[in-house]
Amino acid sequence: MSKQGGKGGAAAAKGKKPAKPGADEKREDVLQAVILADSFQDRFRPFTLETPRCLLPLVNVPVIEYTLEFLASNGVQEVFIYCGAHHQNIESYIRESARWNPQSSVTPFQKLDFIRVNDANSIGDFLRDLDKRAIITGDFILVHGDLVANIPLDAILAKHRARREANRDACFTVVLRSVGEQPHRAARARGITPVFVVDPTTGRLLQYDEMHPLQSERYLQLDPAVFSHGEFEIRSDLVDCGIDICTPDVLALWSESFDYELPRKNFLHGVLKDWELNGKMLYAEILDSGYAARASNLQMYDCISQDVLDRWTMPFVPDSNLVHGYSYKRVKDGNYVEHRVVIERGSKVTKSVVGSATTVKAGSTITGSIIGRRCKIGKNVRIENSYIWDDAVISDGASVVHSIVANAAAVGAGCRVPEGSLVSYQVRLADGVQLPSKPPARISTVTDDLRPAETDARLVGAGGKGALYEVPRDEDESDDEDGPSYDPAVLQSSLLYSLEGLDIAASSVSSFASDSDFDSDVDDGDYDDGISTAESADMGRGGEFGLGEGPAGPSDAPSKSHDSFHNDAVHGLHDALRDAAGNDFDSAKLEFMGLRLANNASDAAMRRAIAVAFARRAAELFAPEDGAPGLEAAKAAGEALTSKRGAVKFVKEVGVGGDEVGQQAEFALALQRALASGASGKLEPPRAGLLLAALLQQLYSLDVLEEDGILAWWEDGRGEEGETMKAVREKCRVLVEWLENADEEESSEEEEEDDDDDDDDDDDE
Amino acid sequence: MAPSQAGHVPTLDNLIKSFNDLPLEASMDSLIFLLKRRQIKGDDCAKATAHFLRHVVAKSKWTSVNHLIEQVRSYGTRLAQAAPLEPVIGNVVRRVLGLIRDEAAEDRNADDVASETASDIQDIQSLAPGAPPPQPLQRATTASPVRPTLGSITSGLLVSNSMFNLLSVAEPLGSPLTGASTPMSSALHASVHALRSEVMDGIEEILDEINQADDQIAGFADIQIHPGDYVLAYQPTKTVERFLIKAASKRRFTLLLAGLQVPDPSAEPPYAALRKRLAAAGVQTINLASNGLMAYIPRVNKVIFGAKAVYQNGGLLVDSGCCVAAQAAHEYLKPVIALCPVYKFTPEDPSNEVVRGELGDPSSYVSYANGPAVDLLDIENTVTDYIPPELVDVYLTNLGPQTRHHLASILADHYKTEDIAFSLQFDEDS
Repeated sequence: MSKQGGKGGAAAAKGKKPAKPGADEKREDVLQAVILADSFQDRFRPFTLETPRCLLPLVNVPVIEYTLEFLASNGVQEVFIYCGAHHQNIESYIRESARWNPQSSVTPFQKLDFIRVNDANSIGDFLRDLDKRAIITGDFILVHGDLVANIPLDAILAKHRARREANRDACFTVVLRSVGEQPHRAARARGITPVFVVDPTTGRLLQYDEMHPLQSERYLQLDPAVFSHGEFEIRSDLVDCGIDICTPDVLALWSESFDYELPRKNFLHGVLKDWELNGKMLYAEILDSGYAARASNLQMYDCISQDVLDRWTMPFVPDSNLVHGYSYKRVKDGNYVEHRVVIERGSKVTKSVVGSATTVKAGSTITGSIIGRRCKIGKNVRIENSYIWDDAVISDGASVVHSIVANAAAVGAGCRVPEGSLVSYQVRLADGVQLPSKPPARISTVTDDLRPAETDARLVGAGGKGALYEVPRDEDESDDEDGPSYDPAVLQSSLLYSLEGLDIAASSVSSFASDSDFDSDVDDGDYDDGISTAESADMGRGGEFGLGEGPAGPSDAPSKSHDSFHNDAVHGLHDALRDAAGNDFDSAKLEFMGLRLANNASDAAMRRAIAVAFARRAAELFAPEDGAPGLEAAKAAGEALTSKRGAVKFVKEVGVGGDEVGQQAEFALALQRALASGASGKLEPPRAGLLLAALLQQLYSLDVLEEDGILAWWEDGRGEEGETMKAVREKCRVLVEWLENADEEESSEEEEEDDDDDDDDDDDE
Repeated sequence: MAPSQAGHVPTLDNLIKSFNDLPLEASMDSLIFLLKRRQIKGDDCAKATAHFLRHVVAKSKWTSVNHLIEQVRSYGTRLAQAAPLEPVIGNVVRRVLGLIRDEAAEDRNADDVASETASDIQDIQSLAPGAPPPQPLQRATTASPVRPTLGSITSGLLVSNSMFNLLSVAEPLGSPLTGASTPMSSALHASVHALRSEVMDGIEEILDEINQADDQIAGFADIQIHPGDYVLAYQPTKTVERFLIKAASKRRFTLLLAGLQVPDPSAEPPYAALRKRLAAAGVQTINLASNGLMAYIPRVNKVIFGAKAVYQNGGLLVDSGCCVAAQAAHEYLKPVIALCPVYKFTPEDPSNEVVRGELGDPSSYVSYANGPAVDLLDIENTVTDYIPPELVDVYLTNLGPQTRHHLASILADHYKTEDIAFSLQFDEDS
């Protein structure tokens, strides 16, 4: 860090004009890159059981070759590779490679080191480890081991550097590729839609969130701070290619936040959210040309393979032969063929890649497929849009459609491999086997814990080998919501993108409607885009107002995160009030505050939750559900408010939130709403009104609400909207009149003032 | 080449600089990958190859001429295979191989070779009729003052070195010196040493030739372009640009620019610099939209474009689109002039790949952001065209204008028959 500071000072002293100090330039010249070669995901299972993702063949070339070549083409000199699972495979692959072996004389990198972290469970652990090692000297490029890109980074690096020199807090640049607003295969394939809120003039990132079709929350909540930036764009049309340009400060940020795991969902989101705390500025570089994508799941793998065939990835195309020992040539019909390939007459191969020493017998049709080396394709075989890796055997008459057949797997004569099937290493399908199409089969010879799987003869036929591979489910992921919950990983772990069979919550608004008494009539349109810009902006603005004024009425559509906060908070408080054993409200209070912080709930939402919780408790005492005679209204209200020590204080401090008349009126309004809407139990309006009056009286006598507050509420027009509200309000007339009289008796001067205030209010309306 | 000086992206200049620090294999590899990644293209390939082979001659360990030839050939083969659609690489390798053979023969029998090479040189110079290229002469005059001092030095190495220069420049002065001081009995080591520097000088000359070719071709501009001409230039290359600017200094003509890419609104309009310079010289330019050139062909007097390579049958490898222009001009019997320096003449027939054209990435036609198009269309963007020989009328080389019938003699002058298929025997290895 100190070095960094010194250098910054030197640059500033020089006026950062072209004539840079020599020493400075020398150090700047070494461009470093960090490759994260483990993603801690299982989207490529069952293939990644035996091979790391970055060594899977993408158009017959291990994926990491693309990444390394990309770095080399951008003049990177030092590379650090973080390996996790299968580190020995990756290391031996690199060491055996003529080009990348660090001892080799021809390697384009001055240095290539492997770093192994034993107890790493996430990418966050890697980066925290990197911070400790202090091997990073300046700006560096952080990429994943599954990156395919051809973009020149020079200009982006220069911009990053200029920004950093102008402001030392500009420490991070994310490289993004725009894919337009129309449906795009690369956008479809990624499963999770990243949403970036960007300042279009400076490129500064303001907020980051992720959306996916399976989440119950369909709205994006904008941070109110976003609005202070004037202009901003919300973009969900970007492919995140995982190329980050970082200064070492970024690593310090990782170290500070020991719980960050994912570079996007946790780190980017978190750092942007806590901008005021850490003061760091993150930038996005949105590219409109060039190619960059990560083979981050099977669908992206599929998509990138097609892009390579279509030459979008130029120069990373088969006939560039960038990997040593490859000899692809472009021949007719859009095929790329290596040496010693035998394609018999009478077979038809189009738009495909065929590796060396593969034979294709007569009568076979191969379209849009990638065939590895030494494969044997029999007669009358049909292969469409599939990936056949090295040494696979497809016997006569078989058909393989949009599937992956891994190394040394054998598909027997006449087999049918339908769309989306994954046939892993060494699996043998006996003759005439038909694999299921729904859901597509994943067949592997090993189980999750790498033990040989027991062959399932019904699936692979007699004499076959392999069993169905079950995707392990994360236990702790699936029980945190009541409905069937899906990890977006479900979308990403299959070769085909399909929402079929997944229960996508059509609208979760209704399930909370009884608790949130606002008109939650949120427009359901625009869902296809993941978010609707106008709506989100509306919501965010509502949130901002909420901080100052409380809920602004029906137009203030509550967002889903507020709903879940509301729900949890009401339940928590209500349970605490109900709890016969404990007499202490402190823990409930603590829990509530925790929830509030976690959800970043506004004052208005808190007020609403507290009002509902206490109203519910009072209603429960007033009219128990089992039909037993309840307490009378005043007693029920008193019991609800005073039975627990600290509850009154809590209502006063948190629920009302202050001594101001407006806040008190809001709380009274919230109580009224809670009772009127039936959120607190089934009470007919007159009885609810009775209870409200009792509650207000209790609160008045407990000094939580003052008469000014109650009177302000009484004057507020919002309390008279709708029949039930009116009916409930009517019952409080007695109380209000009593309060007014009490006022008059106390002092006539104050009354005059009150009248003035009331007049003002009337004028406003 | 690259606009940013502080950039990390490897460029030709950086590469050539790095040759001195890197071992041979490493420089070889970095060059190969620059070629494969298309970070070096076109004319730069020739320069890069020449620089690299110069380096091979200087650095590699070789004990005999055959050994050296073998090495150059193997390195050259690997370079040529790295970029099968850049024939100039092979041309430069062949030139260097021929050069080594010449020097070796000269070493073996100085007198014989002396006259032979001398006549060779004469041949080449006689090929350039009328207007001898100004640069070589100038170089010759700057080199001549050195000659006496070199002659007075007794070391065999330097004498043979200087002798080479003498011969290549002017024969009559050279001959007495040759007779006087060629020590035929020098040891093997000395001869290797001598050969090394001779070959390196030879490669320097090839480099000079590559660098000066454009200027030399431009020297013929006023002969080819007449006052009042309407000249259509299809996607002018650097060579063509220089040619046109030179012509504009002497002639008033009208230039039609065709084959322009749809301009990116943010960027400078295409060929803005060229048009400015032409306008300054009083030459009007007209930009033709993509297909508009057909309509203008009847008005045009000649069509000019630069070639990437000339094959032995007279066919041309050009940037894509030129073929349309050539075809249109051919239909209207308008002369088609291809600007092609001698180092682009390739003693091969075009391969199938060349005839089919090299494929680039589709982004110049469809943006990757256009999702439906990316999904549904097969977009083939050929970046090179092959023009069959019958469509070309004049090959304007740095040695002067030629017709197709004289190409064979140019090839024979520049390449040795044994080097023509230099890369074939290595094909098996890969």
